[in-house]
Amino acid sequence: MKFRALTGAFLSAASLGAAVPAFADTELKVYISSQHQPQVWRKMLDQYEAKNPGIKVTIETGGNTSEAQAQYLNTVMSAKDTSLDVLILDVIRPAQFAAAGWTSPFTGKDMSGYLPAYAEANTVDGKIVALPAFADSMFLYYRKDLLEKYGIQPPKTWDELKAAVKKINGGENNPDLQGLSFQGKAIEGAVCTFLLPYWSQGKTLVQNGKLTFDRAAAAKSLALWKSFVDEGVSKKNISEVATDDTRKEFQAGNVVFAVNWSYAWAQAQGKDSAVAGKVGVARLPALTGGDASTCLGGWEWGVSAYSKHQDDAKKLVEFLSSKDVSKFVAINGSLMPTYADLYKDEDVLKSAPWFADALQVVQTAKPRPVTPRYNEVSEIVRTTVNAVLAGVMTPDDGAAQIESRLRRILR
Amino acid sequence: MTTSTLSTTDRIEKQPPAWTKMLDLSDRALAVLLLAPAALLLSLIIVYPVLRLGYTSFFSLSLTSGLPAEFVGLDNYRLMIDDPVFWETTWNTVLITLITVPGALVVGMALALLANLPFRVQWPVRLSLLIPWALPLSFAGLIFAWFFHSEYGVVNDVLMRLGLPGVIWFNSPNWAMAAICLTIIWKTSSFMALIILAGLQTIPRSLYEAADVDGAGRVRQFVEITLPLLKPSIVVALIFRTITALQTFDIPYMMTGGGPGTSTSTLAMYIHQNTISFLDLGYGSALAVVMFLLSMCVTVVYLRIIRTKG
Repeated sequence: MKFRALTGAFLSAASLGAAVPAFADTELKVYISSQHQPQVWRKMLDQYEAKNPGIKVTIETGGNTSEAQAQYLNTVMSAKDTSLDVLILDVIRPAQFAAAGWTSPFTGKDMSGYLPAYAEANTVDGKIVALPAFADSMFLYYRKDLLEKYGIQPPKTWDELKAAVKKINGGENNPDLQGLSFQGKAIEGAVCTFLLPYWSQGKTLVQNGKLTFDRAAAAKSLALWKSFVDEGVSKKNISEVATDDTRKEFQAGNVVFAVNWSYAWAQAQGKDSAVAGKVGVARLPALTGGDASTCLGGWEWGVSAYSKHQDDAKKLVEFLSSKDVSKFVAINGSLMPTYADLYKDEDVLKSAPWFADALQVVQTAKPRPVTPRYNEVSEIVRTTVNAVLAGVMTPDDGAAQIESRLRRILR
Repeated sequence: MTTSTLSTTDRIEKQPPAWTKMLDLSDRALAVLLLAPAALLLSLIIVYPVLRLGYTSFFSLSLTSGLPAEFVGLDNYRLMIDDPVFWETTWNTVLITLITVPGALVVGMALALLANLPFRVQWPVRLSLLIPWALPLSFAGLIFAWFFHSEYGVVNDVLMRLGLPGVIWFNSPNWAMAAICLTIIWKTSSFMALIILAGLQTIPRSLYEAADVDGAGRVRQFVEITLPLLKPSIVVALIFRTITALQTFDIPYMMTGGGPGTSTSTLAMYIHQNTISFLDLGYGSALAVVMFLLSMCVTVVYLRIIRTKG
């Protein structure tokens, strides 16, 4: 009898012991965009798995543009799908995700370590919606070799840029060499295209949820971009150009100046680049008489409100937004750090020397309008920019259209 | 069917099974009973969603607002009347329908007549007819987006080899619309051709032989024999094609994304945008109701045509 009880206890203990590892294996699924170099993040996730036995992290990639991603997440989240645990979100999304209740807040998290712009972007109505993944803003990429050859300084205004292009084009006489590449396709990047010269005139689009639209400034912004096309500084089909097209054109050596985010650096200096070693990065020009301005970018890590592993997912996000990871992705993916002191870090500067001057740019970058209905604001602005660049409507009509359509959603 | 089974089993007719007596069903009641499962299924997957759509269209329901649904009566419809994008996308949809339906009919008819010729080996012809139809719409859109690409596309390459200037197809509303319509016609004419081909093969050869004897030429034979006998097939093909044309989404979505501006956006794309991108389910539903009514009108018109011909 005694013997039986003992064996029974032994057997059940053994079977429990065997079952424990299988039970403890928590699988977390991280949604990442294919444009954010999942292979770089994967290395960090491998490290995390090694340090946290029992946690397995898989990556789901999808959507190579911010809009494609938003559409996918909108579908998944409105269906209350539990399959995704951690989501990468564009800096423009936290307000929408907070309003819809799709992410779990990080209650009591101290945000003071991050760059202030990101602490702010991730806090909606006092709640911390997500934690920063990496920082970003738009810069002017230029061909150092060509500018040196013609004795030109990186332009401070858009007019100087036009003059520089005309000088270089006159000398090079290369019909395949484009002066300026920027985003004219109706994608999220085109919203920044519109805002750069608009902000340069000291105007705002939305303040405290109210529309503060200035039609004259908007018309001037649209007219500036259209003039690049009309004067042959940018190519005629600029309305077909998306962010990564700009990157490719520049990398192939077909562009003198390009407006792009920080990620383009790693590839422009990479093995497959025709311009490796000939790339300069500067602050974006201003309108003559205006202030230099740039668009705040960057991406955030959120925990899905429908995740079944809330605590594990939050722990993973804390790790992914830590200083070590920020440094690693800065060095290996030229993704800008979300911690101020990393911009002075020796290892980081070795791989991206221009980060030394970039901190100031990121600190003065302006956020796009913060509203839960941002997707609609974005669609209105980007399709109008696209239509003006294609010559479907004049800059004045475009400005009027943006105003009347924005009034419908932001009164 | 019924009569033949009954005649072979006379005994059963005299003595129906006990359970039918127990239910004491009239013919009418039996019909209702037998139709019930299908009717139930249909109402679950068609009638309920349509009614629900109409119901939602009277609410302000936007997931981004964080507010609960609120009854707003006809507000969504009022908003639509003042919405220039609604009118633009609706017009684009009608335009695509008016161009691509007759276009696909003509091309499809030509393809069907071609495939009906007495080839020695028929399967390559039939297969090449099937391929565009079997290709997913979004694939076709992507492929043709590359064909019409201003810098790398084969269309401009051919134009330039012929000494013609290349066109930046997606930079102008008219050219972009032309490219989209050409793609839709390419994609859908094989469906037309398949239905018409099936119709062609039901026409007895003897009719043509008789016409030959009477000395009627090819054109006369086509007008007097082929066309009238094909009418039912053509009407069926037209109904299907028109309704899918009113729902055009994939091809412009993949080719232009509605651009430049919103000049090639369709009503279906606008519905998708409002519901999926903007999460404005109330307004999206109201737009969908309009599209539903538009499709219903077209169907009713075609059904009238069939009935008067029948």
